[in-house]
Amino acid sequence: MAVLSKEQKERYRRQIAVVGEDGQEKIGRTRLLIAGAGGLGSTAALFAAMAGFGTIRIIDPDCIEETNLNRQLLYREADIGRPKADTAAKALHAMNSSIDVEPVTAAIGTAPARDLIRGIDLVIDGLDNYPARFLLADAAWKCGIPFIHGAVEGFYGQVCTILPKTYPCLRCIVPNPPPVRETPIIGVTTGVIGCIQVTEAIKLATGTGLPISDHLWLWDGIRQKSDRLKIERIPTCHVCGKDEYQIPTGERVR
Amino acid sequence: MKVHVKAFATFREVMDSQFDMDFPKGATIHTLLAELTGKFEGLGELMFAAPGTLRDFVNILKNGRNVHFLAGLDTPLDDGDVIALFPPVAGG
Ligand SMILES: [Zn+2]
Repeated sequence: MAVLSKEQKERYRRQIAVVGEDGQEKIGRTRLLIAGAGGLGSTAALFAAMAGFGTIRIIDPDCIEETNLNRQLLYREADIGRPKADTAAKALHAMNSSIDVEPVTAAIGTAPARDLIRGIDLVIDGLDNYPARFLLADAAWKCGIPFIHGAVEGFYGQVCTILPKTYPCLRCIVPNPPPVRETPIIGVTTGVIGCIQVTEAIKLATGTGLPISDHLWLWDGIRQKSDRLKIERIPTCHVCGKDEYQIPTGERVR
Repeated sequence: MKVHVKAFATFREVMDSQFDMDFPKGATIHTLLAELTGKFEGLGELMFAAPGTLRDFVNILKNGRNVHFLAGLDTPLDDGDVIALFPPVAGG
C-alpha cells in the first residue's frame, strides 16, 4: 500500500497531527460515493476532497439553477445551466488535484443502485427525497457499505450513520416519508449537516470514535441545540429485520 | 402518571421542545395528542390530515418505538414514558 508522499505529508500536515499518517493513508484509500450534488452533497464533497479521500464519485442528474446558489457552494453564477456532477468534479479537482473524482450525471433509480455503489467504501447521502434514499440505502445495507444519512429543512437537520448488519436502518427511522416537495432550506444548515456527514466519514475511515449509528442526531439551528433520538428497529422491517445484528463499536467497520 | 414529551424539527415552531405532562391511568397517545393540539395552536394541522387521521409521516415514538407499529393512537401511556414527536426532514 502506497505510503504518503513528501507532498502529501506537507499538504495534510495539520490533520496528520490529528489522525496520524496511518489515518491519513486510510482516508486516501477510502472511496466515497456522494449521492446528490446539492446543498449537502456539495458541502460534503468539498470537505471530503480537502481531507484527501482518494476517490470521490459524485452523482446528480440536474443542471445548476439560480435557486441553488444560496447553498450549493461548489457552483458560481457562471455555472448556471451546466451539469452539476461535471461542474462539481472540476471544482473538486481544482481544490485537490491528487484525488480521483468520478462525475456521474444520472438519477438514482435509472441505473441499478448496486452498480452505483460498486467499488465504494462509504456512501454520503446528499439526496433530496426518500424514494431515492431508500433505493441507495437498501442496496448499501445489503452490500455491506455504511450509508451516512443526512437531511435538512429550514434551520433543522438530521444525521444517522446506517451501518450494515446493524439496526435501525433508514426504513426504521423513516417508515413513512414526507411528501416530495420543494423544501425550504437556509444554506448554513446544509453546511452544518454536510460537515457532520464528512466527520462521520473520517471517523469510519480512520476507525476513530463512535459513529452516530444507534440513534438519530438532530440539529436545531434556531436554539443551537442538538439531540440524540434513540429509535428502535421496526419489528417488521423488510431490510434489517431478517439478519443477525451487531452492536456498533468503535472498531473500523470495513 | 408523568410522561415526558419531546418535540423535534419543525414541530418546535408551534410547540415547546420538551416538557412533562400528567395523565390519569388509562390515557393513550390519543389522549396526549388531544391535549397537545388543544394547547398548541397550529399543531393539529401539522399532525393530522383529517380529524383522527394522523399524517402518516409523523413519527410518534414511545421510548424509541414507533407507535404506528404498536397500537397506533390507542397505544397506552405508562408512567415515565418518553414520547418523541418527530417529523423527518427531507431536503438535501
Ligand atoms: Zn430497518
